Amino acid sequence: MFLRKLIAVGAFALMAGVANANEGPLVTTEWLEENLGSADIAVIEVSVNPGVYERGHIPGAVNFAWHTDLVDPVRRDIATREDLQARLQAAGVSDDTTIILYGDTNNWFAAWGAWVFDVYGLEDVKLLDGGRVAWEAEGRPLDSAVPAPAAGTVTLAEANNDLRAFLPEVVAASDSGSHAIVDIRSANEYSGTIIAPEGFQETAIRAGHVTGAVNVPWSSAVAEDGRFKSPDELRAIYAAAGVDGSKPVITYCRIGERSSHTWFALSRILGYDVQNYDGSWTEYGNSVGVPVTNPAGTVWTGL
Amino acid sequence: MVTASFAARRNLWVAAGLALLIVVFLVLIPARDSLNRPLPLSMLLGVAFGALLQRSRFCFWCNYNDFLTDRDPRGLLSILTALAGGTIAYAAVLHGWVPDPFAGRLPPDAFIGPIGLPLVLGATCFGLGMGLTGSCISAHLYRLGEGSVASIPVLVFVLVGFVLGFLAWNPLYLLFGSAGPVIWLPAIFGHGGALALALAGFAALAALLIRFGRFPAPEAPAQPVQPVQAIFQHRWPGVTAGVIVALIAIIAYFRVAPLGVTAEVGSIARTYAAGQGWLPQRLIGLDTLRGCIAVVKETLASRNGVFVLGLVLGAAVAAQIAGQFKPVLPRAVSLPRLAVGGMLLGFGAMIALGCTVGVLLSGTMSGALSGWVFGLFCLLGGWAGGRLRRAIP
Repeated sequence: MFLRKLIAVGAFALMAGVANANEGPLVTTEWLEENLGSADIAVIEVSVNPGVYERGHIPGAVNFAWHTDLVDPVRRDIATREDLQARLQAAGVSDDTTIILYGDTNNWFAAWGAWVFDVYGLEDVKLLDGGRVAWEAEGRPLDSAVPAPAAGTVTLAEANNDLRAFLPEVVAASDSGSHAIVDIRSANEYSGTIIAPEGFQETAIRAGHVTGAVNVPWSSAVAEDGRFKSPDELRAIYAAAGVDGSKPVITYCRIGERSSHTWFALSRILGYDVQNYDGSWTEYGNSVGVPVTNPAGTVWTGL
Repeated sequence: MVTASFAARRNLWVAAGLALLIVVFLVLIPARDSLNRPLPLSMLLGVAFGALLQRSRFCFWCNYNDFLTDRDPRGLLSILTALAGGTIAYAAVLHGWVPDPFAGRLPPDAFIGPIGLPLVLGATCFGLGMGLTGSCISAHLYRLGEGSVASIPVLVFVLVGFVLGFLAWNPLYLLFGSAGPVIWLPAIFGHGGALALALAGFAALAALLIRFGRFPAPEAPAQPVQPVQAIFQHRWPGVTAGVIVALIAIIAYFRVAPLGVTAEVGSIARTYAAGQGWLPQRLIGLDTLRGCIAVVKETLASRNGVFVLGLVLGAAVAAQIAGQFKPVLPRAVSLPRLAVGGMLLGFGAMIALGCTVGVLLSGTMSGALSGWVFGLFCLLGGWAGGRLRRAIP
């Protein structure tokens, strides 16, 4: 009797273990390699650097260009529902497909893709934990063939703008203290010592941060191997900065993409109520009359 | 008195030393760049390209000048072979990378430049510089390996020319509203159509060269040429060289980046001049483009830097084995010509966003109309430069 019970518990634990591999917001490299080719998943790469996908990608993955597939090329906005739906259908995504996103630079823009998909109501969206960095470091296979999937039938919901913070909401949150505001840029950008990192074209004419924002650089959420830290570690890191989920959260960065990485950690992994401010510092630092804190006192002189 | 066999043995020892140096660099350089591209492969491709340039005298100006002076078409046919072979290979790769060429996307990294006055001006200046200095930038680099001391002042003035190009870029861009439209032929004709059109163009040019060229009468060798001599001492046949250039070009594009030699030179010039505060902080419309374009350097071990290093060392090894390392000092009276020519090469390469390797070879292979336009105006400039050269020391 005891033996039978033990076997039953063991089998249950094993099954739960297998199932858990595909539960939650992240998938592991092992799980993805085992499930490549499954009709239920669509693997999408969103990398920052050109040529990365073409020279070798996870077999069967399709390529989304963040400059054109995830944004509206004219308005400063995320892609329209029609454009994104057509792009996803061409990528073979249907309503019951699990979308797995990954990319270079620690999944920055893959996480941004996850946020855009979330805005349009796609629920079954996961990130490959560690992205390209982990996949390549483990010597897993890459392919240069571009797949031509059969068209999918996914239909997107109208954009849920509750997941986005717009400038007036950020100003209101700063004034009232109703939200925890997380600035994920570098400490030097947050303090106003520099306006933007060296070499970046998109910048602002005021330095500093949104008054009331705390600084937790995006990299704080990443372990040395490129994967997200454990939920407990993440919880402790953000709690130390006063972000414990007791208040809704707004994340921002410079142009609104890297902050999606922190949005993912806080919202999808920790389950907090989080909005991403996609206007970010390039909008805020150029806006007239908004509350700014600039501890470094850097004065913009045109350079 | 140095005997021939002693000289040959010494050359082999020097070649072995240089080959060892290549191995040392291959071990020392980082395995990957920031985009995870293999740097040792990039350097090896440079070694292969340098050795090939040296062995086959694959030099744009020399080949063109052979035709201008003796109507010998073999060199230009070698370039056409490289272009045709490379275009076929690029088409195969791009068909996979950009399955729908009409979608409005360009293949990543390819040298597909804008077509406008900057390209025309740059290509013409580059041609003038080739004619005046007797080589394009890649040939000056491989000739360093042959002991061409004159290439050193030329390459220094190439850097000066690059700085002048950076200074001229913003006014030129604003004067014309942009650098011009970016035209990728497969986006108009499809992959197959663009390939057919390009091959027809190369065939027509080859037919013209054969029709109007004069092939020199073959000299019967005094004794049969051994394979070792054919490879290491004699000049490689043009068609063979062209095929190997195409092969190197497609491996480079497929695994690392398109062939190009000026990105590193341009980056050094830009980094230095920017450090001196000479340059505008931003080059309009340029910093957003990718490809043969000089960016401020962050690291010495760039993919193009190790490629150029490999090119010089590969040419040096080939030249030593062939006994063709012959240091030649330029005459003092030639220095002004070399300086002006070098500046024109650098200025032209900057304004045209690349040179005979990047824009002409890699660009044309990838289906860029800018490659053809560059080729045309580079030939015109080269013709004028060659005539000028005869008139001055």
